[in-house]
Amino acid sequence: MEPLTVVGSLNSLAAIAEYVMAAAEAARLDKKVSYKLRLAVDEIATNIILHSYQEAGRSGVLDLLAEFDEQALIISIEDTGDPYDPTKEPTPTDLDQPLEQRQLGGLGVYLAIHSVDKFIYERVGNKNRNTFFVKYKSKKSQEDESNSQNL
Amino acid sequence: MALNTTLETNNGITTITLSGELDASTAPLFKEKVEEAASQKVRRLVLLMQDLEYMASAGLRMLIFAKQKMGSNVDIYVVGAQEMVIDTIKKTGFHYSVVILDKYE
Repeated sequence: MEPLTVVGSLNSLAAIAEYVMAAAEAARLDKKVSYKLRLAVDEIATNIILHSYQEAGRSGVLDLLAEFDEQALIISIEDTGDPYDPTKEPTPTDLDQPLEQRQLGGLGVYLAIHSVDKFIYERVGNKNRNTFFVKYKSKKSQEDESNSQNL
Repeated sequence: MALNTTLETNNGITTITLSGELDASTAPLFKEKVEEAASQKVRRLVLLMQDLEYMASAGLRMLIFAKQKMGSNVDIYVVGAQEMVIDTIKKTGFHYSVVILDKYE
């Protein structure tokens, strides 16, 4: 698809969601898989906007690109914030704790990484690139259901 | 993309109806309602989510906020949530701390 560039503001989340859902539709992903892909991209984009740009006191854009290879829909987001690798975030260990004792952070990255078939982070020049892969015939939703029963 | 919220309090129970999409850009609207509920010192918070089409982790953070602001003795009911919203709630273990119902009578 044509790439999408948006300013690093929470107001851009709607446009990002629209872009992802258009790509998911073009790839004929089913409704659940599309929802999860949107969630994954939304969470990472939100992190970039809030932490890499707003909290760091800098402005910047997010560049999105959806590509269709033989087996998967691949969506990448690039930003010009400081190097930040979401895959290095520790998995939350308090998921079974009562809410009043839980940490507010870490949930978004956890959901993002667990909502797609593959997630990759790379530092490319002065940019962070986060890439999401969703196979056209994903078994992810069934796997997730059995995983969540094991929690 | 938008979120609509309405709040009603009766007999110590606050009901917030959420419709539309709950992400980081719309979560502040929900937060306002939670603060309003907390100021009313109710014993139960009921969230009607039938028409909530999407919820990101920003929505989960609002549930933590509600629990912390209103007190752990206040029960939170999540009513009529759509399948994928429930999927997110379960994946993150929030179903241990809120009551999930199909319908609230």
